[in-house]
This record gives sequence, C-alpha cells and structure tokens, in this order.
Amino acid sequence: MKKTILTGALLGAAAALPAAAQDTLATVKERGMLNCQVGLPTPGFYALADDGTWSGMDVDMCRAVSAAIFGDPDMVEYQSVTSAVRFTALANAESDMLSRTTTWTAVRDTQLGLDFTLVNFYDGQGFLVPVDSGITSALDLDGATVCVLTGTTTELNLADYFRANEMEFTPVTNENVNVLVETYLGGGCDAYTNDKSGLAARRSAFPDPEAHVILPETVSKEPLGPVVRQGDDAWANIVRWVGFGLINAEELGVTSENVAEMAANPPSPNVARLLGAEGNIGEEMGLEPDFMVDVISAVGNYGEMYERHIETGIGIPRAGSLNAMWTEGGILYAPPFR
Amino acid sequence: MAPKVFVPSPDRPPPVDTSGPLVWIRRNLFRDVPNTLMTLLGAYIAVTFVTAVVDWALIDAVWQAESRRECLDLVGRSGACWPGVFVWFENLIYGLYPKDQVWRINTGFLLLVVWMVPLWMPRVVSKVAIGLSAVMLYPFLASYFFLGGEKGLVWTALIAAGLWGLIWVWATALTETLTGKSVGTWLIGRLGRSGADEATQMRIRRGAALALFVVSVLLVAPAEFVEVRTQFWGGLFLTLVISGIGITFSLPAGILLALGRRSKMPVVATLCTVFIELFRSVPLITILFMFNTMLPLFLPAGTEVNQLVRAIVAVCLFAAAYMAEIIRGGLQAIPSGQYEAATSLGLGYWQTTTQVVLPQALKIMIPAIVGNFIGLFKDTTLVSIIGLFDLMNMARAVGEDSNWLGLFIEPFFVVTLIYFVFCFAMSCYSMNLERKLSAGRERS
Repeated sequence: MKKTILTGALLGAAAALPAAAQDTLATVKERGMLNCQVGLPTPGFYALADDGTWSGMDVDMCRAVSAAIFGDPDMVEYQSVTSAVRFTALANAESDMLSRTTTWTAVRDTQLGLDFTLVNFYDGQGFLVPVDSGITSALDLDGATVCVLTGTTTELNLADYFRANEMEFTPVTNENVNVLVETYLGGGCDAYTNDKSGLAARRSAFPDPEAHVILPETVSKEPLGPVVRQGDDAWANIVRWVGFGLINAEELGVTSENVAEMAANPPSPNVARLLGAEGNIGEEMGLEPDFMVDVISAVGNYGEMYERHIETGIGIPRAGSLNAMWTEGGILYAPPFR
Repeated sequence: MAPKVFVPSPDRPPPVDTSGPLVWIRRNLFRDVPNTLMTLLGAYIAVTFVTAVVDWALIDAVWQAESRRECLDLVGRSGACWPGVFVWFENLIYGLYPKDQVWRINTGFLLLVVWMVPLWMPRVVSKVAIGLSAVMLYPFLASYFFLGGEKGLVWTALIAAGLWGLIWVWATALTETLTGKSVGTWLIGRLGRSGADEATQMRIRRGAALALFVVSVLLVAPAEFVEVRTQFWGGLFLTLVISGIGITFSLPAGILLALGRRSKMPVVATLCTVFIELFRSVPLITILFMFNTMLPLFLPAGTEVNQLVRAIVAVCLFAAAYMAEIIRGGLQAIPSGQYEAATSLGLGYWQTTTQVVLPQALKIMIPAIVGNFIGLFKDTTLVSIIGLFDLMNMARAVGEDSNWLGLFIEPFFVVTLIYFVFCFAMSCYSMNLERKLSAGRERS
C-alpha cells in the first residue's frame, strides 16, 4: 500500500514538474526567437523557396505568433522535422509550437502530452484516378492497387475505408510523395490517395492535369491545426487566440490593408476589442494590447492567408469547401474575441 | 644400307595471330556460341541503357524554363528538366547558407587545401606534424569561417591557434624546401645564435612561437563575421562537415579503442569492448534518433545542445566503433615475432605500438579503412531523417518547390554524380596510397 502511494506521489510529481517548470512565453522572449516546427517542405503549407525562405499557410501561423509576441513576424526559427519525430521534438522542448498539417485525433491529444489549439484547416482524404480508367466513385476501387504514403494516418484510413466497404486493395507504399506520384503516373497503381489538398497540389503539376480526377468521396476527417506542449496553458492560449483572432479578423472585415485605419477608428466594438482599442485581452495574455494589429499587418486575416497560399498557391478553391467562413456555407467558426 | 639423309618435315601452317585487338576480341568476346550470345546481349543492354540515359539527360532535355510546367509542356516526361536543378544548384552545394556569405565556406575549404599542400611538397620533412596540425588546429579556424558570430575569449584563442598552425605549416614548408632546416633552426641561424647552448635555443623557439601566437590573436580579434546558425547549413557542405569530422575523429579514436580492447588491463579492455559492441550492434539510424530526440529528455531542462552537434557526435561514436574493429583486424595480422623482436630491442609498449606495429597494421588495412570512410560518407545521408538538410534532403526539397513540384529524378541524378565523384576520388587515392606504400614488396 505504502509502495503504491509512493509510486503515485512520484508519478504525480513527475507530471507536475514540467507544468511548474515551463513558461514558454518567457523562454521565447528571452531567446528572442520562436522555434516553430514545420515539416519537410510541402507546397501551400510550408514551402521552401530556392532562396531559403519559408512560406505557406502553416508558416504564416508561425509568423503570426511571432508578430504577436515580438511585433515582428520574422523572429522565427523554422525547424523542418520529419513526421516520425515531430511530437518528440515538441515534447523535449526543442520546438515551442508545431504548425505542420497535423491531424487532431483523440490519441494524440490525450496520450502524447500535447495540446491541440484550434483547427485552422479542414482537410480530408480522397483518391486520385486517371479519367480514362472510367472510375467515378471510390466504391469502384474494389481490387485496385493504391499508392499511399507510409507511416501516416492516410495509410490507416485507407485500410479502414476498404474494410468498412468490404473491398480488397493492394497498397503500394513509399515515404516519398514524389516517388509515389511517379509510380502512379507510370501506371504502377490504379489510384493515389492522400489528403485532398495534397492531391490537388500534385495534380496541378502533372503533365496533363485534365487526364486525372479527384473522386468525390472524402474518406476521413483531417482537422489540422497548431499544436503545443501540454502543461503551459498560457502559451496554448496565445497560440489559440492568435489563430482565432485571424479568423475573427476575416469575419469582421479587418485586412492587412485597412488594419491601421481600423485600429485608429474602430467601426464597431468588436473590431475595437480585436485590435486592442478596448478591453485588456492582450495584456492579460502577456502580450501588447494591440498585438492583433501587428499580426494582421504581418500576415493578413485568415482569408488573405488562404487566398495567398492555398487558392493561388496550389489552386484549391475555398468557396464551397469546409474551409469557407460559417457565414458562407463552410464550418470555419471562431469563438468571439471578447 | 641407305645413307641417312636429312629430310625436313613439312612446313607447319603459319601461326594464328596471338596478339592485337582483333585476336583479343575473338578470344574474349566471340570464342564460341554461348560466349557470342552473351556478348551480343550485353552490348544490347549497354547500348539501350546508355542511349536512354543520354536521350533523357542530354538530347530531349530542357535547358531553359521558368517552371516545371514549361518543361512538361515542351517535352513531357521524356526529357530531363534541368533548369530546376540549376536554380537549386547553389542550395544543393551550400544548403540555406546566406548567399552573400557563401564565400566563407569556399575560403574555409580553400584553407584546408592550402594547409595540405605542403604534404605533397617533396623536400618537406615534417609531414607528420603538418598532417597532425591539420587535424588538430584546422577545425578551429574553419569553425569560425563557417559559424561566425560572437567569439568569446576562449574561442578567440582557439581560432588564433588555428591561424598560428597555418602560418607555422607554411613557414616550415618554405624553410625546409629552401634551406633544408626546420623553421626554428633557420630562425636561430638568422639570429646568429647557432652556437648558443640548448637552453637559450629553446627559449628562442618558445619566444618565437609565442610571438607568432600573439600576432595571430591580434589578427583574429578584429575579424567579425555575421553568425550563420547551423540550422542554415546544408547540402554538400553539411555532408562534408559531418563526414569530414566523422572521418578525422574515427581513425584516432578507432586506433585507441582497438589498442584498448587488446590491452591487458581488464578495466580498459572491458570498457572498450562494451563501447565497441554497443555501438556496433545498433543501427546508425537508431543511434541518430537516440541522440537527436532522446538525449534532450535526459538533459536538465533548458540545456540546448545544437542538433548538428548531436548528429555529429552520434556519427563519430558509431564510426569509431567500426574503425576500432577494422584496426584490431590489422593488429592481429601482425605476427607475434614483430612484438617479440621489438621487446628484445628494449622498446616499451608505446614505442612498439607506434614504431613497429601500427605502421604495418595500418598499411595492411588501407583498403578496409578507406572502404569504411566511403561507407561513412554515404551513411551521413541518414541525417536527413532527423531533419538536417544534407545533400539528399536538399535534393528532395527541389521537388517540393511549387515552381518545380514533382521534379525529383533530375536532382537525384545530380546528387548521384556528386556522390560518385567523391567516393571514386577516395577510392583512387587509396589505391594510389597502397601502391606507394608497398613499392618495396611488390609481387607479381
């Protein structure tokens, strides 16, 4: 009995230790740099240009947090890490946050010592097939050979979907997207499966994009968003509310162009609160009262980010997708900034 | 009885050609039917392969385009799309190192070449010292060129030691080539103190070395380079840094471990054996993961050990364990007569080892050692898995650039060529070394 108590106490102490020890905001301020983890270069979300600069939807999230803390979006050190070690790098405090198309799942949220802050992109897995194969639905794929990235939720979803529909398939796996695409184009598999945003981006780079079609079925839910280490709620709040702030800014019509003007003469109390002219939301979070002004001037609002990186960047339209604003038929909905 | 008359036997048919290219071809390629078939098949495969590669890489290739889309519109997938590789070429070599600072990398490697040149100068005697100085002192000098930034007192002294080494190497090379004397002797001669007693001469030598060091410090102190954090290092540069350090560390460490494992002192022998067996029985990738992700968990919170340093340490330890076993193989090939002979001459352990055993053992092991170096050079590609942008990872990044999305055969083709050049050069150098060292016991 005593032993149990002792063990329990030790475990409790171990669990309490990181919570007591970490103050990520202070660490980041002291370092003068935000360590933001992205993945291996991926167009649209975290793309690496030949001049060494990073850009993309998830990179903008890092820049937004940096702008909120330092008033400067470029105080970010990008850590490009493979998916295999992404959570460890966050857990061992090498990264302050993780902004890299990571799907929010129960296991990851509850068992890995992570906190998912918000969903800033709704994705879902789909299938890409050649038009002349005559396949028009994923249910026609019985017996097909499917190219799939190994070691991802994609691979598991694929197996689940085929099992649920009592269909057979042969997987062709690789850990390099380009190899899979090349296999698919060379006829090595009948279909290529990945998140639909990825499928669209790859298809646009095919020799003949019109010869391939993304099937209508979405076989999985992939809510993607920034992740922080569990146990530092103040830090999680900062990341979460910078994200929600970006979505609210779009809803309220605050853009990178009119933000200065709106901060000077807020057209509504909501805008005034968002931009720090009223209330003390920023101060209570340990930031400047007008931190959202810096954020929005640096990266724009959510709509601007999407337009820049996803819509023109990799050619995925927003209208009609889940990522449209809730007022426009999508499910993008942020709690009020008040 | 008829007289015996010499009757010459009839002429033999003229001899078949035994030399010349035609004979060689007939003998080796078309001796009989299966042989001929094999030759034709081989030639067919070779021609098809070579023409396919040449067609793809040269004839059908696109040399000027703004994006992969343009390449695809021009030739589809039948020809290579080189412009993407051109745009990224600098990144393949230098990684994400700031473009206006790239000269520092070039200078750093040039310094190494300058440092090593005396090793090939025929009249230079102190080659061992020069080689040692390159291993021990050059890294300090190079580290400042590559990394830059704020340098504390200790680091300034170390960089100055590097510069000191470089100046000493060339002073030695020049005096030995021109006068045949070591730099100290030459200096004492110039000062007209050749007749002075040994203690005075030693004082002069030390004084000169100290003066040179002070000059180096004064030269180094004002130099200021912008800091380029290791996160921006990449490409061939990073590959060379990791494998270079791994190679230079693994040889001496391997020698020590091998000697330790054969030592008669039980503690040393056990420790060395445990270390070697531990690192040899775990794959490199596991060690890299361990050092990269697990190590920070064991360290006290707040200690940040640079990711590159962790990777380099992992590679060094792994390489040292393998090298130790290669060297041990070489040590075992030395007949015990050599040890006994050395002992009977009154040589101690270190004298026996460094003067008699190691020179022979290392010579036998050259092919295996260089083979290990080449393997290590290629193994460093594994660091791409822990997110370092080495040559392989950089090549992969090309195909993820939105302008060049999907372009991956071309960059990997180029990377293959780069690896081939480096490995083949190492291989050639080792063969050359073997020939040179075994000139005395050539057998045929």
